[in-house]
Amino acid sequence: MNAIDPRIHQALDGEISRDSLPPELRGTVDRLETVAALLASAPAAAGLEARVMAALRRPAPPGAGARRLVRWLTTPHPVTFRIRPAWSLALAAAVALLTLVPTQEAGPVLGEHEGIAQFVGRFPDARSVHVVGSFNDWRPGTIPLEDPDHDGVWRATVVLPTGAYEYMFVVDGERWVPDHMVDRLVEDDFGRENSIVIVRTARR
Amino acid sequence: MDVRGGPSDQEVVARVLGGDREAFGLVIRRYETGLVRFATRMLGSRDAAADAVAESLMRAYRHLASCRDPSRLRTWLYRIVANRCKSYLARRHVGDVTLEEASPVADSTDNEASLERAEQLALAARALAQLSSEKREAFVLKHVEGLSYQEMAAVTGVRIPTLKMRVHRAREALLRALEDHA
Repeated sequence: MNAIDPRIHQALDGEISRDSLPPELRGTVDRLETVAALLASAPAAAGLEARVMAALRRPAPPGAGARRLVRWLTTPHPVTFRIRPAWSLALAAAVALLTLVPTQEAGPVLGEHEGIAQFVGRFPDARSVHVVGSFNDWRPGTIPLEDPDHDGVWRATVVLPTGAYEYMFVVDGERWVPDHMVDRLVEDDFGRENSIVIVRTARR
Repeated sequence: MDVRGGPSDQEVVARVLGGDREAFGLVIRRYETGLVRFATRMLGSRDAAADAVAESLMRAYRHLASCRDPSRLRTWLYRIVANRCKSYLARRHVGDVTLEEASPVADSTDNEASLERAEQLALAARALAQLSSEKREAFVLKHVEGLSYQEMAAVTGVRIPTLKMRVHRAREALLRALEDHA
């Protein structure tokens, strides 16, 4: 590789004044800046706002969420699974786990492709906890967890279509945290670490 | 169109999350020029770039509540578009853009100066297209979009020293490619 004079990098990074460069180096700086200015002249995409807003105004067809999930499951993603160390698993055992609860006779009536997910997290000082995920379009405030005995363990039971979902907890309406009690985490497009729940049909 | 002034990003995000869907149009108008330019330089195709940015904005709207720091909405949006571009390039199984897509076309009514400028832009775009996607991303974010290294780290999730090295190597590779095409 033909490395260029380090002073060129320093000038382009604003670490030294370009006026301090000898003329032959200043020419290289000029060339790179000219190229950057040319590349900055790309035209805008006509009608982008109208196209996006029209799509957002369109009501989601029934089953759109399920189709998105199928698409997510059938297309390649940069997914990193991590097995939590033993202390984390021990902690997980001490509080609660994300579990699938088989259908009980007195439980909710489930469709053929539905299951029950139980979300449990330990947040001793929280005033409120909600779960958000790909099952509710990451909208906070729609699925609250409850802590009726004030022991700091918050719970919610939700009927969901079968499948895999990413989710997080929202504590006090502002703090987004993954569920560290599960050992399945995935990094999403936004650099966050989401937890994963897999909902299966309840045994009948 | 770049919309300056008006409500802050935090205010716009709060309005959208409060149910004012149409306020998201302000986000689009404010950032579409830079996002489309970035995607165009990454993908080498204006059509693919428009698709990537449209999909990214719809995704951003759906996940807006998870934008933890609305004051950094711009870098959050760049991050989504950057990831969308990576997915697109991965699906094409190549990191390089196609040259014919990278070439601008001068209108026949253009004068000599604009024709020359179109040729220079074509040369620059072809040279950029020869860079690896990592170097291309680093150069475009730094020198075309004018992001700081700190902002670039927020967009790419890569550490600043690594980004500096990528930018340095990108400059060197670009100069070599320009000489090859001259």
